[in-house]
Amino acid sequence: MADKKKMSVAEILAAARQQDSGEGDATPSPAEAAPAAEEVVESAASAESPPAEEPAPATTMKPGERPSVKDILAMARSGESGAATKPAAPKAKAAAEKPAAAAKPKAPAAKKPAAKKEVAERKTTASILAAARRTSKAGPMSKAEAAKQPAAKPKAPPKPKRPVPPMPEKPAYAIPVEPPEVDQSRRTAMKAAGVTAIAAAALFGSALRLGFTSLATTLSLWGLATARFMFPNILTEPPSRFKVGFPDSFSPGVVETKFKAQFGVWVVNGSYRGEQQLYALSTVCTHLGCTPNWLEAEQKFKCPCHGSGFYKDGINFEGPAPRPLERYAIRIADDGQVEIDKSRRFQEEMGQWSDPASFVSV
Amino acid sequence: MDPNLLTHWQNISGFLGFYYIALALMNGIAAFVVWRRSHATVGPVLLLLLSLVYVGVLAPLAFSADATWMPRMPSWFTQLTNEILGGSWGAVIYTVGSIVLLGGLFVARKFFVRPDVAWILLNASLLALGLSFSDPNFYAIAAKPDNVPIVGLIFLLGFFTWLATSRAVENDARALEGRPPLEKENDEKILVWPDLVYTELICMILLTALLLFWAIGLDAPLEEPASSVKTPNPSKAPWYFLGLQEMLVYFDPWMAGVVLPSLIVVGLMAIPYLDFNPKGNGYYTIEDRKFSYLMYQFGFLVLWITLIVLGTFLRGPNWNIFAVYEYWDPHKVEALNNIDLSNMFWEQLMGVSLPKAPNEAGFFTQLGFILYREWLGIAVTLLYFIMLPPLMAATVFRGFFVKMGFMRFMVMSNLILFMALLPIKMVLRWTVNLKYIIAIPEYFLNL
Repeated sequence: MADKKKMSVAEILAAARQQDSGEGDATPSPAEAAPAAEEVVESAASAESPPAEEPAPATTMKPGERPSVKDILAMARSGESGAATKPAAPKAKAAAEKPAAAAKPKAPAAKKPAAKKEVAERKTTASILAAARRTSKAGPMSKAEAAKQPAAKPKAPPKPKRPVPPMPEKPAYAIPVEPPEVDQSRRTAMKAAGVTAIAAAALFGSALRLGFTSLATTLSLWGLATARFMFPNILTEPPSRFKVGFPDSFSPGVVETKFKAQFGVWVVNGSYRGEQQLYALSTVCTHLGCTPNWLEAEQKFKCPCHGSGFYKDGINFEGPAPRPLERYAIRIADDGQVEIDKSRRFQEEMGQWSDPASFVSV
Repeated sequence: MDPNLLTHWQNISGFLGFYYIALALMNGIAAFVVWRRSHATVGPVLLLLLSLVYVGVLAPLAFSADATWMPRMPSWFTQLTNEILGGSWGAVIYTVGSIVLLGGLFVARKFFVRPDVAWILLNASLLALGLSFSDPNFYAIAAKPDNVPIVGLIFLLGFFTWLATSRAVENDARALEGRPPLEKENDEKILVWPDLVYTELICMILLTALLLFWAIGLDAPLEEPASSVKTPNPSKAPWYFLGLQEMLVYFDPWMAGVVLPSLIVVGLMAIPYLDFNPKGNGYYTIEDRKFSYLMYQFGFLVLWITLIVLGTFLRGPNWNIFAVYEYWDPHKVEALNNIDLSNMFWEQLMGVSLPKAPNEAGFFTQLGFILYREWLGIAVTLLYFIMLPPLMAATVFRGFFVKMGFMRFMVMSNLILFMALLPIKMVLRWTVNLKYIIAIPEYFLNL
């Protein structure tokens, strides 16, 4: 028997088919058939419905593995007398119930005797389940089935009631006073209170809601505070518009560096494309934003960070700076002084240096 | 005799004397260890002699700070170094020289990892460092508190590279003989507690003590309060970012500050997915993983460490190149007139001015003119990134392509091409003064 245990599904099927089809043949000895049947049901029970490797002949059995239930039961019944199969048979029967129940076969004839016997023999889990299933069908019931169902148990007889003493008369102070006439405004106020209460219930109805509400409130307050932070009451930076003196104080060819520390500007009286101009250059390197130095001896602006160099007119010529220094807006104010406006920038590569606001002709 | 030089010698004579005594101690201990290990006589005697020279000759001379006897680099050497490294070709010679040096060390690694050779090299470099300290310009750079870690880094890196290479050379020799690698042979397991934990504890205590003494001995390199209009000249990044700063000299901030650093990180993360070589797991080797080894050492030693050293020792005021013994003159003039590829093509080759859209033109006209102006650079870049990977797959990296498959090979080849961008750009900057291959400053797009 031990070596039979490892039979493959195909072999089992073949064995089952052989039994099935061989009507005229001598039925295989019960001792041999029982383990085979056991294998079949075991595999069926464990793997719900193992894939049918070979479609079984439709005439003999319905699904490849299961139809052997009848046969198994028959075998078991026949083997009951045989002492050799005794241990195997009940197991096979009991297990056979499972696929039978799963497939819901309409074979009460096959089911009943098996059930009868198992009561007599031994109670396995499967048999208990089968017994449970027999009394009441699981799942939805049809009307006919419902009608067959035994009526609900009559209720236990009601307990005798205890005599309750009558309520005492209500004292005068407990009688509610009729409320005075409510005026319309009070009513709307109460209505508003009611709405508020409903809103509060909607917002704070549960701990989760309370948490999210407070989170949202905190975040929005924080956002408002941040927005307010962006507009400080006092700005300590120098004004973007400032005067640097009269035009004749800037001699030709000189880079005025004295406004660098306070305003970040070089005021240059130099020539750009053959034109003598007074212009204000930004002191921010166009490569990575360091502050270049004006080297009087070399007549160039030189950045100490990555070595970018700019001519006196702000055009980049060495190092990695990709574009010229930027110009600020410059003009002669009404009082005749030179006024620089740092809020407007002019970029050479965009062709903005031809804008008359970017220079003062001298 | 220059009085400043004499003052400098008097200032550092104590430090230098103890420096030479430390070298003598180092060699004496080495002599003892060698004698204990091998009971040979020649090696320990030579080491002891060297030790005696340090302690008997160099240390007293250094303590004396005498104008004639102070141990110093010969003047012909310092002048030659200044000529070579301080000239306009300094960066080229430095970079090419370090690549050649590292390549030579790699090719002749079987010779250089021998303990005696390595010990002689260590002594020579330490002695050169000591002699160079006598030069005030060198001392000003090398002994600056910012730069002390970098001097330490050079020696530490040399030691670890030697350690790994010597084990790899030995393992490769063993592989030739058919023996298992060192690490497989002595893979006897030891316990975390107490072996590893005790070692870690001792290392922790020693390092903490070192840091304490370092912090007491060398002041923190704090500078004047920051000012938006005054930039220190030269403005140097922290030493570990000097490679990035050097990269910024050759690229637009977007490329060198964002794209390439991200690619370094992404590329390092991609290595495990690109590596198809199962060898070299758990032991040092070079022969089994030659490509990976060379790629990594090129990226790390050449493109990172030598750039840090370049930024530390050779970059001076206005970010000009200064030799190590050269005075940092802020008015040193370096003729650099960098031009873009479009300038070269239109102005120098075609003899016309750059194509420029009329001022009132619309956006698309402007864009068209810009693309027309930069067509050569765009074409070159596209060819570089699109044509080269298939070419590599068909020629030198044929085996890689077969083993890695299309996607992985494309990722790897593009990472290599991005890595190669830096040396290519450096060479182009130094040789033909090329600023940008594609220069579209209108939209902040430069390569």
